[in-house]
This record gives sequence, structure tokens and C-alpha cells, in this order.
Amino acid sequence: MTEPALVVRGLEAGYGKIQVLWGVDLEVAAGSFLAVIGANGAGKTTLLRALTGLIPVRRGEVHALGRPLRGLSAAQIVRGRVGHVPEGRQLFPLMTVRENLDAGADYLPAARPRAERNRALVYELFPRLREREGQIAGTLSGGERQMVAIGRALMSDPKLLLVDEPSLGLSPALASDVFTALGQIASEGVTVVLVEQNVQRSLQLADQAVVLEHGAVRQRGTGAELLADPAVRAAYLSL
Amino acid sequence: MKRRTVPWDLVLVALVAVAAWFVPEAMKALFGRASISYLSLVINALSLAVLALSWDMLARTGQLSLAHAAFYGLGAYTTALLLKHLAWPIWIGIPLGGVVAVGFAVLLGSLTLRLRAIYFAIATLAFAEVLKSLVHNLPTEFAGGNAGMNVAPLFRPQFVAGQMERWEVAFLRNEAYFYVYAGLLVATVLASIVLQRSRLRHAFIAIRTNEDVAGVMGVRPARVKLLAFAVSSLFVGMLGAVEAHRVGSVLPDQSFAVATTVLALVTPIFGGLYTTLGPIVGAIGLSSVQELLKRSLSEGYLIGYGLVLVLSILFMPRGVVGVIGRALRRRRTNAQRRAIAMAGGGAPDEGASEPGAPPEPPARPGGTA
Amino acid sequence: MTPLLRAIGLTKRFGGLAAVEDVSFDVAPGEIFAIIGPNGAGKTTVLNLLSGLLAPTSGRLELDGHDLTTRSTAERCHAGLGRAFQVVQPFPEMTVRDNVLVGALFGHPGVPRAEAERRADEALERTGLTALADVDAEELTLMQEKRLEIARALATQPRVLLLDEVMAGLRPAEARDAVQLVKGVRDGGVTVVFIEHVMPVVRDLADRVLVMDHGQVLTEGPYAEVVQDPRVIEAYLGKEGA
Ligand SMILES: Nc1ncnc2c1ncn2[C@@H]1O[C@H](COP(=O)(O)OP(=O)(O)OP(=O)(O)O)[C@@H](O)[C@H]1O
Ligand SMILES: Nc1ncnc2c1ncn2[C@@H]1O[C@H](COP(=O)(O)OP(=O)(O)OP(=O)(O)O)[C@@H](O)[C@H]1O
Ligand SMILES: [Mg+2]
Ligand SMILES: [Mg+2]
Repeated sequence: MTEPALVVRGLEAGYGKIQVLWGVDLEVAAGSFLAVIGANGAGKTTLLRALTGLIPVRRGEVHALGRPLRGLSAAQIVRGRVGHVPEGRQLFPLMTVRENLDAGADYLPAARPRAERNRALVYELFPRLREREGQIAGTLSGGERQMVAIGRALMSDPKLLLVDEPSLGLSPALASDVFTALGQIASEGVTVVLVEQNVQRSLQLADQAVVLEHGAVRQRGTGAELLADPAVRAAYLSL
Repeated sequence: MKRRTVPWDLVLVALVAVAAWFVPEAMKALFGRASISYLSLVINALSLAVLALSWDMLARTGQLSLAHAAFYGLGAYTTALLLKHLAWPIWIGIPLGGVVAVGFAVLLGSLTLRLRAIYFAIATLAFAEVLKSLVHNLPTEFAGGNAGMNVAPLFRPQFVAGQMERWEVAFLRNEAYFYVYAGLLVATVLASIVLQRSRLRHAFIAIRTNEDVAGVMGVRPARVKLLAFAVSSLFVGMLGAVEAHRVGSVLPDQSFAVATTVLALVTPIFGGLYTTLGPIVGAIGLSSVQELLKRSLSEGYLIGYGLVLVLSILFMPRGVVGVIGRALRRRRTNAQRRAIAMAGGGAPDEGASEPGAPPEPPARPGGTA
Repeated sequence: MTPLLRAIGLTKRFGGLAAVEDVSFDVAPGEIFAIIGPNGAGKTTVLNLLSGLLAPTSGRLELDGHDLTTRSTAERCHAGLGRAFQVVQPFPEMTVRDNVLVGALFGHPGVPRAEAERRADEALERTGLTALADVDAEELTLMQEKRLEIARALATQPRVLLLDEVMAGLRPAEARDAVQLVKGVRDGGVTVVFIEHVMPVVRDLADRVLVMDHGQVLTEGPYAEVVQDPRVIEAYLGKEGA
């Protein structure tokens, strides 16, 4: 057994006086796929932000790829080959599509040599981005922005990829392609943590899954177990 | 349903205005002859407050103007020209100075409506500079050219032998100006409070943060921006006119000085932008700092002044008032905030469809950081 | 019935790109009308043409027989077009209530303050934001921001409500609530035009669906029909989408 790619113990985090996470424990084996599900406001986005250093860890420990992350800045964490697709597609609105994508790799010594290859992968997944290479990101459609946000994280050639609601705003066909691509990436040895409202697809892809409620893990199991769980089905799957 | 509360801001203005009534006499009693120069300092602070607050009223719509000196200068030149060419009552130049400034402001405002941020700033700066050189080049017989014009003082207190001492003449003059400046500031403050209490406050913030969305919500950005321009220039125009009388002259380089614009925007930034109190606190703070530095450093006081500004912007990005406001807001308790966060966090059907037993909200004490 | 909203030959070009090309449709009063299509098909651009954020290269827009084509965004709002944005844009310096109050105060000229506050509180109530009313808008989660978008648009008391992907990212129970919310709004007499990629929501909500692709109208009809259309499956749904 190799050591786990991500270990989280007793993680607490929040915004100002509001505490959101109240002691989250996770352990994700290298190369495996973890799905995080939970209600709106449960703290899923906050969890990913804390893991990538965008908000400080208040208590507890985080080890990613064998490195303790607590106290590191977001820039230092991403250099450690942790990629993040943030919720709500935060792009550089005045830069072109190509510049946004390259920004994912340009500042990372580890990713630069593989930038060509990764860009080709991104363009294969999202042909639209190749067509619009020179367009200013601020004028893209909602879905096109989402493609750039995903693409930029892939450009950073991560070993651990944290993805927040990737299907948001994508057409059903393209969302499906993105899930397939995430499965593919995981099968190539990248550890993936996925937060996604399409619980069906995300549990199908996942080796392991956790249910987050009010900032703590309430339930955990394999993807298949949770998919079969009547309570999970009632809360997250019926429509 | 809406609570009717005491209008504390208006009460405060009334109290301060009443207290101000006694300031000159109190200073005279306390400091005697020295009260003349103290009164001058207070007048300078009042003047800076009007300048800053009028600029802030425009800035609230997101229009960061670099033309404030132009409207100040227009007010000053209006009163000077009236005095020189027409035998109208001396006081008329002050309101008319405001009106002329408003006219030019509406013109400039309509031309710059579509410009955002930096382009707006550049356009307004260009306007101010063009106006300044225009005034330079007006016929000398008409507006005095580079040499400017003399402006008669508003007050000429007479020395009455036996009833007062010599220095009291200067005191009486400063006392009179003090009331004029205080009155102008009170008027500016009242305008600012009216704006802040009306629905325009919401329109201002909406336009400032996202003009497109404001429009979609039904706000008419063009009207609101022009209105702010007009109100702002009215007060700075009147200030320019009053100052022309107090200083006794107008000159293109002095009445249209870029330094006036710089003070107009630095003061609210120091005190706290987009509030009534901020620019006033900024004016009091900056005038005091300047005076203290002048006394202690004499020569290099401007360097010290610059340093204070840089440090305050670094450590108080929302100004003095922002720092105080934040301290007050902290008092909302952690428990309250958490209750709010929880209530909003879940869907309206919270609990009904939770997996398993209803979750217990973690009841641990609040965060550490 | 005569249509309430008519788009006639709307076209918008950005340089060489025809983001919207000759798009026409009618929406009847009280109808819930969906616009779907692949990413970049031009759906949001159509909404921008309707609410006046973009001027059309050509084409016209009518509301209740009145030509709105050259009207400003504010005038269109006063005429009864309310809009919730896809890329959420709350006013971050305001509380949630003040955000909604902007719509209530200015949505129609001359609404008295007390009435505006009542409308704002009602919009907050309907969207489940009452408990968050005093929170600064910048503290909301993305989904809460989307609810705020709806609340603001509702507070302008529109005749036609334009919703751009406000339900993306909701879990099923929440999406059901949102569907009920929109139905309730329609039952209150408001016509709804919405864009959504979440097919179950489109199925449950739409009376009629317009499908766009490459800026043009691909087809139009009831949900059950359009999702069977091979061109729609090919361009949009994908094999397993429907
Ligand atoms: N910037 C912020 N400032 C203050 N509070 C915040 C901020 N962002 C989120 N919160 C609060 O933190 C809680 C958790 O938010 P988070 O975004 O992590 O939820 P989530 O599980 O990702 O929900 P969603 O499914 O809606 O994306 C929410 O109750 C929210 O009110
Ligand atoms: N200002 C602009 N300049 C150039 N291209 C633009 C501009 N605005 C939009 N576009 C392009 O026009 C096309 C239509 O955009 P629009 O936002 O209408 O798409 P959409 O159908 O809403 O897509 P999505 O489902 O992804 O939100 C997109 O390809 C977009 O990149
Ligand atoms: Mg989230
Ligand atoms: Mg769109």
C-alpha cells in the first residue's frame, strides 16, 4: 500500500466569525476517486477551499501527497501539484481563453514541461475552447467559462485534483463528457475529489464517498454503497 | 412593520450646530488674541470638510472625479466676475457660483456618462485642465488673465475706539467667516444625509457596484449620476465663491489648482468613503495632522504628511470611520451569526429529507481565529 | 391568444460571430417558456437582447404590443421585464435585504417606501431568504446568490420574468422547491422565460421549449416532442442525456 494522497483530520474552517467545518476526517488513497455529497450550504465548497489554502485551516491537520498543508499559502499548495476547479468559474476576465489556460501551468515548474500535452487534452475535451482561443474570457458564455475553469486546473498537471460542481452550466452532453474525462483522469493515477450535484454520476464514478452535513461527515462508504442507501437516494437522487 | 426610529444623524447635526454657535466666543474667552489664528484653523478644517463631503457625494455613484477643482474655481470666478462687472449685491455671487458650477457639471456629466473608472477620471481631469487654460486666456480686461482679480471681502468689521481692542477687529472678521463656513457645511451635511436616507442611497450603491444590473433593476443610471454631479458641484461651487471672498483674490493657478482635487479625494479616503461622517472625520484628522506636523517639523512637514496618508491607506483601507464601524459590527455575537448561517444553509425543507436521523447542529463553542 | 412577448428576427453579431441569428418567438401571457441549447448557443445573448443590456444588430422586441427595441434597460424593467442573471451579480456591499430592496424601490417608478419594503420582504419570503436578510450579500454561497437573483427580479414585480440558469446546482429536493416557486409565480399572473440545462426541471416546468444551436432556432415545441428530435439529441442532449 502506498500512503494516502489526502489525509484530513479534525479539520475546522470558516469565514470570519462563522465556523462552517466542525471536524472533518477523510482519507483518500492515491489514485482513487472520492465523491463528496451534501445539501446546499453543508460546507462542501468550504472544504475544498480549506484544502487549497484559499481559507485558513483553524484546527486539525491536512496532508496532501505526503506534505502537511497547514499554514501554506494557496500558491505553495498548488505548486505541490494540487489542482482546484473552483465553484463559480473564477477566471481572469480580461485575459484570453488561451492565456487563462496557460496561467494554470506557467507558474508551476512541474507543469510547464507538460503544458503542450495538457493543452491538447483540454482542447480534445472542449473543442469549443480551441475555436475560441483568442476570445476574452469575460465575454464567454456561462458554460464556456466553466470549460476554461476545468481546463485551467487540468493544465496544472495535478496529482490531486479537487473539483467543485464541474457540471454546473454545462449542457447534458458536455457534462457527460466531463464525467467521463474525470473517470479517465483518475484511472491514470490522479487522485480526484469531486463535489457535484449530479449525485448519480458522481457516485457511479467514485471509489469512496462521504455525505457532508452541517460541516461534518455524516456517512461514508463506497460509491456503490451510498448509491444503494435508501436515505441517500431519498435525499439526493429522486427528482 | 418598519420601525420608526429616532433620526440620530439629524439630532446630532442639530446639536453640533447649536454648539458651534458658541465656539467663537468660547475660543475668545479661552485664548484671547490667539483665538484669531485658532479660528482660522477651524475655518480651514470646515472648508476641507465641505470640499471632501461634496466630492464624496459624487463618488458614491462610482464617479471618481478629478474635476473637483474646476467646480471650485468656477464658483470663485463667478463671484469675482460679478463683482467686477455688475453692481449686484456681494452675497449673490455665492449661490450663483454654485449654480454656474452645476451647469458645467451637468454638461461634463452628460459627456462622461458612458465612461467607466479610469476613462472617467482621465476625462474629468482633462476637463479641469482645459478649463484652467481657458481662464488663463480670457481677455485680461474681462477676467484679469494670469494676474487674476481682486475680490472684496464679505465682512469689514469697523474698529470702534474705546469699545474694543485693535485685535478684536480681526477676530470679528474670522468669527463672521466661521459662521458662513459652518452654515455651508451644515447645508452640505444635510444634503448628504437626505441622500443617504432616501432611496437614492440604494441607487448610488447599485450603480457604483454594477451599473448594468442596476439598470435591469429599474434604476436610471444616467439621471442618478447627473443628480449626484449637480449636488456635488453645487456645494463645491459655493465653497469656491466663499473662499474667493475670504482670500481676497482669484487666480487661475490657485482657483483651479490640482491640489484642490487631490485634497477633495484624499480626505474622504482617509476618513472613510461613501459616508457623511467619513469626509468630516477625514477633514478634522488631516487638518490636525497637518498643523501638528507643521509645528514640529516646520520644513519637511509635507513628507510627514505624505507618510501619514500612505500608512493610513495601508492600514485603514476603509478609513477611520470604517475601522470604527467594523469594531461595532463585531459585537454581533458569534451565536447570532451562526444561527443565520444555519438557517440559510439548508433548503426550506431542511430536516424533512435528511438521510437518517435529523442532524444535530454541532454545538461546539465558536471558532478560534 | 395574442402574445405578451414577441421577439422578431433578433440578430446579434460580435465581430464576425453571429451569437444570435434571426431568432423569433412569441410567448403567451401566463406561459412558462424554456430556452435550451448547447453551451454558447446564444441563449444568454437572447436574454440580454430582451432586457436591453445589448442592442440587437437587427430585429425587434415587443411587449404587449409596444415596441421596446430602443428602450433602455431601466425602461424595460419599468415596462415589466424582470431578469435574474446566470453569472450571479449581487451588489456585494449591501445586505441581502437591501439588494432586493433595490429591485422593489426602482422596479416601478414612484413605489412608496413602505410598499417597496413590503414587496422586498415578500420576495425574500418566497425565495426562502428571510433568515439571511441581514447578511452581507458577499457572504452567501453560490446557490444562495442564485436565490437572491430570483428574489431581486421578483421584487421588481415583473410581468415577464427572465431566469437564466437559476436552478443549476440544486439538489433534487431543492430543485423541486424551485419548480414550485416558479409555478407559484406563474399562478400569480407572471409570464416566465427561463434557460436551464437541468432537463428534469425543463420537463416539469416548461409549457413550451425553444431549442437553439449556433445562434439559430433549431426547433420549438412541447418538451416531450423536442427531446425526441434527433437533431436535439445530436446537438445537445447526447446519447444518454434524455
Ligand atoms: N464568503 C463567505 N463568508 C461568510 N460565510 C460564508 C461564505 N461562503 C460561505 N459561507 C457560509 O458557509 C456555509 C457553507 O458554505 P459552502 O459554500 O461551503 O456550502 P456548499 O456545501 O458548497 O453549498 P452549495 O451546495 O450551495 O455549493 C454556508 O452556510 C454559507 O452561509
Ligand atoms: N462580447 C462578446 N464578444 C464575443 N463573443 C461573445 C460576446 N458575448 C458572447 N459571445 C459569444 O457568443 C456566444 C453565445 O453566448 P451566450 O452567452 O448567449 O451563450 P449561452 O447559450 O447562454 O451558453 P451557456 O449555456 O454556456 O450559458 C458564445 O459563444 C460567446 O462566447
Ligand atoms: Mg458549493
Ligand atoms: Mg448562458
